[in-house]
Amino acid sequence: MANVTRRSKIHKPKQSGIKLSKKQKALLDDILTPVVTILILLVIWEILSAIGGQSLPGPTKVVREAGKLIFYPFFNNGGTDVGLGLQVWASLQRVAIGYSLAAVVGISLGIVVGLNERVRKGLDPVFNILRTVPPLAWVPIAIAALKQNQPSALFVIFITAIWPILINTAVGVRQIPQDYNNVAQVLRLSKTEYFFKILFPSALPYIFTGLRIAIGLAWLAIIAAEIVMTGVTGIGFFIWNSYQNGYTSEIIVALVYIGLVGWGLDLLMVWVQGKLLPYSKPQ
Amino acid sequence: MTFVTIDNLEKTFPLPNGEEYIALKGIDLTIQKGEFISLIGHSGCGKSTLLNMVAGLDLPTEGLVMLQGEQILRPGPDRMVVFQNYSLLPWLSVRENIALAVNNVMSGLPAAERSAIVEEHIDMVGLRAAADKNPDQLSGGMRQRVAIARALATKPKLLLLDEPFGALDALTRGGLQEQLMRICDENHVTAIMVTHDVDEALLLSDRIVMLTNGPESKIGQIMTVDIPRPRKRMEAINHPHYYSYRSEIIYFLNQQKQIKKIRARKQTVVARHGLEKINLDIGFVPLTACAPIAIAKEKGFFAHHGLEEVNLVRESSWRGVQDGIADRYLDAALMPSGMPIWMTVGGMNDKPIPVVSALTISRNGNAITIDKRFADQGIRTLADLKRFLLSSPDRKHIFGVVHPASSHNLLLRYWLASEGIDPQHDVEILTLPPAQMIAGLKKGTIDGYSIGEPWATRAAVDNIGYEIATDLDIWNGHPGKVLGVREDWALAYPNTHVALVKALLEACQFCADPANQDEVREILAQPEYLAMDHDYIYLSDSQQIACNVTKNPRDISHPLFFADGANRPSRTEHLWLLTQMARWGDVPFPRNWVEILERVAKVGVFSTAARELGLATSTTYNRQEINLFDGIKFTADDPIDYLNHFAIKHDIYMAEIDLSGKN
Repeated sequence: MANVTRRSKIHKPKQSGIKLSKKQKALLDDILTPVVTILILLVIWEILSAIGGQSLPGPTKVVREAGKLIFYPFFNNGGTDVGLGLQVWASLQRVAIGYSLAAVVGISLGIVVGLNERVRKGLDPVFNILRTVPPLAWVPIAIAALKQNQPSALFVIFITAIWPILINTAVGVRQIPQDYNNVAQVLRLSKTEYFFKILFPSALPYIFTGLRIAIGLAWLAIIAAEIVMTGVTGIGFFIWNSYQNGYTSEIIVALVYIGLVGWGLDLLMVWVQGKLLPYSKPQ
Repeated sequence: MTFVTIDNLEKTFPLPNGEEYIALKGIDLTIQKGEFISLIGHSGCGKSTLLNMVAGLDLPTEGLVMLQGEQILRPGPDRMVVFQNYSLLPWLSVRENIALAVNNVMSGLPAAERSAIVEEHIDMVGLRAAADKNPDQLSGGMRQRVAIARALATKPKLLLLDEPFGALDALTRGGLQEQLMRICDENHVTAIMVTHDVDEALLLSDRIVMLTNGPESKIGQIMTVDIPRPRKRMEAINHPHYYSYRSEIIYFLNQQKQIKKIRARKQTVVARHGLEKINLDIGFVPLTACAPIAIAKEKGFFAHHGLEEVNLVRESSWRGVQDGIADRYLDAALMPSGMPIWMTVGGMNDKPIPVVSALTISRNGNAITIDKRFADQGIRTLADLKRFLLSSPDRKHIFGVVHPASSHNLLLRYWLASEGIDPQHDVEILTLPPAQMIAGLKKGTIDGYSIGEPWATRAAVDNIGYEIATDLDIWNGHPGKVLGVREDWALAYPNTHVALVKALLEACQFCADPANQDEVREILAQPEYLAMDHDYIYLSDSQQIACNVTKNPRDISHPLFFADGANRPSRTEHLWLLTQMARWGDVPFPRNWVEILERVAKVGVFSTAARELGLATSTTYNRQEINLFDGIKFTADDPIDYLNHFAIKHDIYMAEIDLSGKN
């Protein structure tokens, strides 16, 4: 029959799988490549730990021993015996306070330094000495001065995060293009208008660079601070505590948490910068 | 009242080594309300610095800048600046950028009115669609439009533009220039613009201020651009003066570049063979009449007379020769016959510079060429031309000449005036570089020209014009080109002067020999001389070329390089040229003309040279009268009476010319 033959002609052999657009393929590639890479690294790690004896656990052993930490991040048994999600949350709160303080003080001081040549000359060596001091070195000073763990931790975060913010802000203010200053001069802008319409927006890209560097440093500093300060909830103390008790698997899980949160913070800053600064660099 | 006054302004910058760099010195300029002024010059000549001082962004070291009688000490919104890099604030939208200026400068007005001004100016520059975009999202041309709108929105007294279109592509630039011009015309804006673009300056400006190269830049020249407004680009370009303006500016800029080179060159005097100086720079303009100079170099006549290091300097216009002699970077030059006496009596900026001539290099060789469209009107004679000019009084016909002191100019004027055509009013006579004549005739920006060969032949061969008269019809045997040197040079190097005349006289003799004709033509055709096909260059009979415009062309006037008595400098001839320059008001007629002629025409040097070459007959002195075509004879007896006899003439000024050499 004619109908049948026509139908069989139309019926083409099925293409294999689902059709993907070019964009989707690229996205899949972007996700699959790192996933596969990580899997390979995990396998290598497993093999190395099997060969090298039992000093460090392999991935399977980590999951077996610290499964509770991985699968229940928010359990709360009171005291410092809480899930890693809560530990991280406690640390993040400290970072938020210390970092905010650093941002406010750093930007304000940076503007003053950037505008005033004499202040800059006077403080420049001081900044250069202080900014190279590692976070851990501040801890004893902080505790000695502030007596308590909580404010000391905040201080360490503050003092670590402030330098990149301050220095970048100062540079941003000093590098306001002459063109913009000329415009301000020709229009005879008032001081406040100059500040809000020219100075601040012009320095903003530099300030953000400082803020982004600072958030990474603040996160580094909190771990260092908490490791030393006993008896507080926080991811840093958790690691120290696990080490004291010989729970190597727990440390490994905590490290993964720290890395993921640090990465997340950086992405957050990039996102905020993109939202606030549609213009990238001064023209 | 003048609007902007710049008075004896000087600007110095400290150098890292503790010394000072003098960027600008002695700048005086006044600007009227509503004028558009361009500052033009090479990079680093301080034109932007000058603009910044008017803006108040920079302060002069000496002197002052005033706006409506008030000294400018700091920037202000009455002098808005449009910067080269736009200087828009990237964090503000187009509207906000303009509003920032308006809100600050016009804070007295109600908010609604201010916002109306902002919107009006967004529309003025045609950016309605982009009003809410940020500068990053705009093209360069659009950004500059925002900057112009921002500047104009505040209604400044003075608009300052710093190379406003320098960073834009040609097409965008053209559009913006027209837009700016329209806006300035409509709002009667007073503006100062810095630019390095000659066409941009010509299109927009009322006056163009040309700055010399630094250090110590000063105003070299101010040119008034007399092209009617409102202007359109194509109309401006086709304006008859456009190309003479343009070549004037380009000449100025080239001159500035050369001065840099000349300053760097070592000025040494090499003496040898008993001659005071054997290294000479000799200027010429590429014309058939430069043949003896080219031949003297190529055939070794210079070297034969001991001038072993002669360097020929090819200038594109007589103006270059004139400046080269005045500024002493040329030792000697081929000159139009009137130039020595013209420079001596102060034709150049009223500063007498004594120049002498000991040799007439060529006679004849000039022609008056007119546009071929005149042929269709049946114009063959001067009387025809006059009839035609009378019948078209609404249009001024323009003739090109190469220099005010050239015999082309003087013979053309004499010829026109003899028929009752006043060259000062009935036609317009423009000075243009030779090479631009053909282009002008082709484009119709000039109607004719009077010039030496090969340009008449070229118009005929290229079928764009024809000769209505040659110098054979006006004054057969008039001096065409002469050798000119400064008088103080001639006094310092007397033996060199004689040697130079001897070498060139021999070369003249060589050129005049028909046997050498083809060789001379080949040499002239070379790129370092005329750089043109030798089919355009003839020294004698040129039957092979035919004028396509008229069926029976006139005899081509060929330059006469050598004949008995032809090369001796004649006082009578120089005097006649002087009377004609005075007749048209170009120079005053000197009361001490007898002394001046004695000094200009160096008959003694010629006689010595000719005697030593064994050409004694040429030196014989016979005072002759000049016979012109109209039958009026000229003798050197009473030039003032001669001048008074002309019906058509300019007011004639008389003066005692001071030749004490203070200049």
